[in-house]
Amino acid sequence: MQVEKIVGIIVVFILLLSCSKEDDKTSFSFDNPELSLEIPAGFPILNNSVKNNRPTKYGVELGEKLFNEKKLSGNNSISCASCHHRAHAFADHNPRAIGIYGRIGLRNTPPIQNMAFMQFYNWDGNVLQLEKQPLVPIITHEEMNSSIVEVIGKISQDISYQELFKKAFGDEYITPDRIYRSIAQYAYTLISANSKYDQVMRNKDEKFTKSEAQGYQIFKQKCESCHSTELFTDQSFRNVGFPLHSSSEEAGRARVTGMLSDFMSFRVPSLRNIEYTAPYGSFGQFATLIEVLDYFDKGVRDTENLDPILKENGNRIPLTDHEKQDIISFLKTLSDPEFLGSGS
Amino acid sequence: MKNLKNYLLLSACTLAMVSCSKSDDMPVANHVTLHFNNTFKNTTIILGGASSTTATTNTSAVGQVHHLSELKYVISNIRLIKADGGEIPYHVNDLDKGATVIDQAKQASLDYVLTNIPSGTYKQIKFGLGVKQDVNTIDQVRFPTFYATAGANDTKMMWEWGTGYRFTKLEGFYEIDNKTMSIHTGSTIEGNEGAYTQGVDAYRDITLDLTTVAIVGQRAPKITITADFNQLLTGKTNTITLSTGTGMGNNATPNVHTAVQMLKFVDNLGGNGSSDVSGMFSISKVEN
Repeated sequence: MQVEKIVGIIVVFILLLSCSKEDDKTSFSFDNPELSLEIPAGFPILNNSVKNNRPTKYGVELGEKLFNEKKLSGNNSISCASCHHRAHAFADHNPRAIGIYGRIGLRNTPPIQNMAFMQFYNWDGNVLQLEKQPLVPIITHEEMNSSIVEVIGKISQDISYQELFKKAFGDEYITPDRIYRSIAQYAYTLISANSKYDQVMRNKDEKFTKSEAQGYQIFKQKCESCHSTELFTDQSFRNVGFPLHSSSEEAGRARVTGMLSDFMSFRVPSLRNIEYTAPYGSFGQFATLIEVLDYFDKGVRDTENLDPILKENGNRIPLTDHEKQDIISFLKTLSDPEFLGSGS
Repeated sequence: MKNLKNYLLLSACTLAMVSCSKSDDMPVANHVTLHFNNTFKNTTIILGGASSTTATTNTSAVGQVHHLSELKYVISNIRLIKADGGEIPYHVNDLDKGATVIDQAKQASLDYVLTNIPSGTYKQIKFGLGVKQDVNTIDQVRFPTFYATAGANDTKMMWEWGTGYRFTKLEGFYEIDNKTMSIHTGSTIEGNEGAYTQGVDAYRDITLDLTTVAIVGQRAPKITITADFNQLLTGKTNTITLSTGTGMGNNATPNVHTAVQMLKFVDNLGGNGSSDVSGMFSISKVEN
């Protein structure tokens, strides 16, 4: 009994200690200023997670280093940046992602841009907080095929990481959570909002060409009901009757929700920098934008849960060749050379 | 501060010693062995490949012959209920100490020994098929042992894109031409209990009354739990016909790797959580 009492006291004592330690941490002042996220006019609200993981100077620096770190993969061959190329709005040109040992993943690499303003991540929205994403490729057989402890083991040997973790988080401890948070912080800073379209909207002197302006009008009539907001996606999940993936791993949004009404529905993709993210579709079904528009024009695959807007319109979006060219002209105004690292 | 640290060190040492001596005190008689007998009806399953002649075959209610080549599932959140109703939780929030992967291909995995169970008489056992949501994150730092068990290359009980664990993994063959069947279950839910924002919950809490009371303290009881995989297709909740396509009716695709149709199998294996809290599990004997 006496022993139990003492243990009890010790436990309480430890609890108290750990509490005060937490408090210390939050008030711990080290020189790592928060970066101000510039929220472009008209952009949707921030994902709530951003408020709990505000990008900081060194958090972002660390995140960027980790993003480019091949030691995240089992054989040190693949980094996040291996599939997420800046020049392609952090996507790549493969129909499906290619990971370690040339293994081919299930889906097309999604671009990484304006993540702070998204409420759902990935094609099926399985992830709702960006901090939960980095572990997925690390442990996935077709991507990096590693484990977080293996990763920590490798990078903890590197003095530059020890220094960066200290600068970012106050001490040199490398924890899974710190890895996830810093990579997310870096991704939050990747905001694309300086395309020609943005300039036209902001600045009366900047003008669309005739074709771009016509394309914008057609876009508003025929595309905007899904590709809405300044992100050019309403972030909904829709089955638009694209050619089907044969893998039993694929069910679209229904993979997560289990609902047949979500079968083969995918998140409406943002169209920003779309010029640079070919091929298109959840597993790169279309090599070019014109192929996508032709498919919509000819009529999509009919299916029970086809998006109602398409159903109401005979399973198609009728477009003349001229309209298609104009839409593509307009879509190219969503390219942001500065974001793509090609300068302006 | 230094003084504080010394105290802490001292406390930690004391704690360590206390816990050590505690486990030394507990005799083997305070062990409870859970033995899992995986069957098709009354026959213990023998696994086998597509053309195996030794594998145990089973026929579902709709006449589909099938056999399994791989059979794995996670047991966690174990609680023993005393005769007086008191509940003894067994490391329910610690996957390293309180969860295991039952793997029909590994004889040793079929016996899971609970240690340091308080002496007394027990009438009931509860456990989870799968991992409850609040600990179903792949956290290798927190639970390295379970991570290794679940993630070992030959086991693959991690559901990468769901960043949780697979709860059951069944591979096998059906019908005369040995078509592949591959059924994986696991949760895809997001958010906290009571406020899930999306996904399906594949965790099932199982409650089984012991056929005779288990007496812990003087003897180390062994409880044999039968998991009747006949119920995979011929369950209390669903009678399933394996067929291709996505129709919901009584059909299910034989390759289930997503949340679609998964719950049909989950409800058959682990019960529907309301009228059926035993699923395929039953107690076949208690040896004191």
